[in-house]
Amino acid sequence: MKNRLKVLRAERDWNQQDLADALGVSRQSVNAIETGKYDPSLPLAFRIADLFSLQIEDIFLRD
Amino acid sequence: MRPAYRDPAYARYLKRFIPASVLYVGAIILASTLIPDDAKASPLTIGIALLPGMACITMIWAMARLLVEMEDEYLRLIEIKKALIATGFALAVAATWGLLELYTDVQKLPVFLIFPMWCGGLAIAQFWMKARGA
Repeated sequence: MKNRLKVLRAERDWNQQDLADALGVSRQSVNAIETGKYDPSLPLAFRIADLFSLQIEDIFLRD
Repeated sequence: MRPAYRDPAYARYLKRFIPASVLYVGAIILASTLIPDDAKASPLTIGIALLPGMACITMIWAMARLLVEMEDEYLRLIEIKKALIATGFALAVAATWGLLELYTDVQKLPVFLIFPMWCGGLAIAQFWMKARGA
């Protein structure tokens, strides 16, 4: 699944560690999600959406 | 520089696993010292011989708790993949060697080595996943 996480993070001038800290996950998790190696669970996807004040479908896109 | 995220479950895992592994080594030494090679099975010898097994069960329990308690879902997935690879490795060696034992006169593989072999598979999985950038 594609996602806009890297763009959204860059818009806020956050690095992966900043985002990981905000979400309470590891930097490896953020990297894996950004690079499409791992699709987050629904609860984590909601946390990501809440953090950016967006809908899940505004961040995660169908292939 | 901020410390890297470390799932708190890892600390609890080490608190459980390290004493169990020390107990395992101690119990192996104790059993090897106290029980002669040709000893008959008796309540005493069975009791002493079961001690390392109890330590093994504690280590397996600690690993199971790690998977249950990990909060970071991606790191948990990595640990589960490592455990699956280790299981596949141990089963493959045991099944293949077992067939060799059945049809040829190769040396018998002691069953107690299955758990250390599984742990070896875990180490192989760790290197393999790291090499793949997981």
